[in-house]
Amino acid sequence: MSQVETRTGAEAQATRAVELVDCDVHAQATEAMLAKYLSAPARRMLERYGRRTPRVTEWYPRARNAGMRVDAWPGKPGHIWGSDPETTREQLLDEFGVDYAVLEVLSGQDCYDHPDFAAEWNSAVNQWQVDEWLGFDSRFLGTIAVPHEYPDLAVAEIERRAGDERFVAVLLPASAAEQLGARKYWPIYEAATAHGRPVAFHTGGYVDHRGAGYPSFYLDYHVGNGIVMQTQLASMVAGGMFEAIPGLRVVLTECGLAWAAALIWSLDSAWELMREDVPRLQRSPSEYVRDHVWFTTQPIEEPDDPRHLVYAIEQARLEDRLLFATDYPHWDFDSPKQALPRALGPSLRRSVLYENALSLYGLPAERPA
Amino acid sequence: MRGAIDCDVHCAPASFDALFPYLSDYWRQYISEAGIRLNGLAFAYPSGVAGSVPSSYDALADAVLTKSGDEVVVVNCLTGFETHRNPYFSAAVASALNDWMLEQILAHDDRLRASLVVSPVSTDDAVSEIERVGEDPRFVQVLLPVRSDLPWGHKNNHALFAAASSRAMQIGLHAWGRAGKAATPSGFTTTYLEDYVGNQPIAQAQVLSFVSEGVFERFPELRVVVAECGFAWLAPLLWRFDKDWKGVWREVPWVKRRPSEYVREHFRFTTAPAHLPSDGALLDQLLEMMGGAGMLVYASDYPHQHGDGLPALLDRLSEPERRSVLWDTAAELYQVA
Repeated sequence: MSQVETRTGAEAQATRAVELVDCDVHAQATEAMLAKYLSAPARRMLERYGRRTPRVTEWYPRARNAGMRVDAWPGKPGHIWGSDPETTREQLLDEFGVDYAVLEVLSGQDCYDHPDFAAEWNSAVNQWQVDEWLGFDSRFLGTIAVPHEYPDLAVAEIERRAGDERFVAVLLPASAAEQLGARKYWPIYEAATAHGRPVAFHTGGYVDHRGAGYPSFYLDYHVGNGIVMQTQLASMVAGGMFEAIPGLRVVLTECGLAWAAALIWSLDSAWELMREDVPRLQRSPSEYVRDHVWFTTQPIEEPDDPRHLVYAIEQARLEDRLLFATDYPHWDFDSPKQALPRALGPSLRRSVLYENALSLYGLPAERPA
Repeated sequence: MRGAIDCDVHCAPASFDALFPYLSDYWRQYISEAGIRLNGLAFAYPSGVAGSVPSSYDALADAVLTKSGDEVVVVNCLTGFETHRNPYFSAAVASALNDWMLEQILAHDDRLRASLVVSPVSTDDAVSEIERVGEDPRFVQVLLPVRSDLPWGHKNNHALFAAASSRAMQIGLHAWGRAGKAATPSGFTTTYLEDYVGNQPIAQAQVLSFVSEGVFERFPELRVVVAECGFAWLAPLLWRFDKDWKGVWREVPWVKRRPSEYVREHFRFTTAPAHLPSDGALLDQLLEMMGGAGMLVYASDYPHQHGDGLPALLDRLSEPERRSVLWDTAAELYQVA
């Protein structure tokens, strides 16, 4: 902070040191906003039959304000929460001094779409980011939406967008038709890695609560997002994708982080007992997690004693693996000013607020002021 | 172990033949003609990781009972978790297992207690079975598989909790069950390791369900003993659960207190598997995060093996804490004098 203030003259005019990267911001397109990018047959299909995937908000309705921040409705014709870059700039970038905001557009994340439609739809999501957001303010960064159930089509979309450096990651849902460690999806991970992009898995997607069965309430569903990601991480490790794709970096988004240590202990203990079940693994599960996995912070766990959060971070060795996120414009927005407890200390706070993200995404540490 | 209440020891009939005396002609024929065999939950306990489960009192006694006799053992028969879906068969097998347990196992030793086997696919039948034999004080809890079609806290299951609670029985929620459906909330697994570790996240979802559905407001005496699903995950889950509840409590107005308060009062966890950090300082941190060892009850989980975490945990506890894990907490739970 003082760094900027003590700068003088032209230099201070030119650049500003990055101090806050928000790694999970929701831009949300209406169907009409995306429909204009579709081919005539795809548009007709959308108009006449719609998308058959029930929205997760229909399965688990949010009991207040549709799960959004009360103040985030843009009040402009044709706009909804998160669809207007001007509102997001005002309420997030300017208000909190966000230097970079990584957009995660969830509109393409369902898996029931026909492959031809899914390819067009996700490409529309990406072109909409380019046209409406990335050029609007250079603080907005994109993630590449892909038709993940059709890896060949997903790879084609990654290749289409990879030349645009403003797309900093490839976006997948945290739930898909198969577990995310399944070999089916590896071509997507390989393409992302070949193009220097991490893969961000965002909570949501195909909602199918097997295991314990379907919960009744949004409360269980929402807390359960962290539980789903635990089994996904187990799948990623046990399936061997980190062994097969050594440069792969994954970002587990909006699923919490404090559970990581217990899962790692469990995976390591199990691996000691049953290595012959997973002969591909050359190292302990904790080493793969350590080398390949990042976590966004929101919704950050809130123990009564904030020191316990520090314990949880240290136990899993996540100090350089945590990425700050607000989840704007959702109801459980974590404020950059309040969400990180003082117990983290200044060095860890800096790591979480921007250093880790700059390093992961290869972003410049200074930006135009 | 001497001087302990062992809250999870496994015992099961070796085959359907052992259950035939307790089954009707119809089911004996059904079993014989269909060629069904008890597979010993091979999907859950493949030969590569598990020892053989005792199938008689003598084998059980040799394995877990001492001559000094100062212990109590809770026997869990997981045979009711077999894969079949026919609710009538499931109910018949549950009754046969309980009769077998009474005559072949419990009758031989007053140190033994057991979990009551009930059909995991029909609440009506579970209630009937609790009514049929649940008055026997040796059945200290009703056994449910952690994998379920509906989360156990769901209102469709409340009649089962009413029947258990009115007889001062607890709920034993044990790892595994329901093979053939995806083991995890993210889909089908391709390794045993994921299934094995996966019991822990599934148990987390069940903890959420019992609290959010208001089970403990309706049945304030009821407690749930989570067996073979670990416990190191509990504290972070409750941090998130409490935080979310503060935001969306309107959806579940019957949840009147912080979720963590219900969990601390109503849940107990067996010490298996103790998948814990090897560094003692981290283990101390973990216990501090959990608010101490007050929710833990000892289980050898014989004959299942989970590594060497349990002795390390017991060594790390203070003497009073060790006594509470080995005896006091379970004694209160199961009314052991």
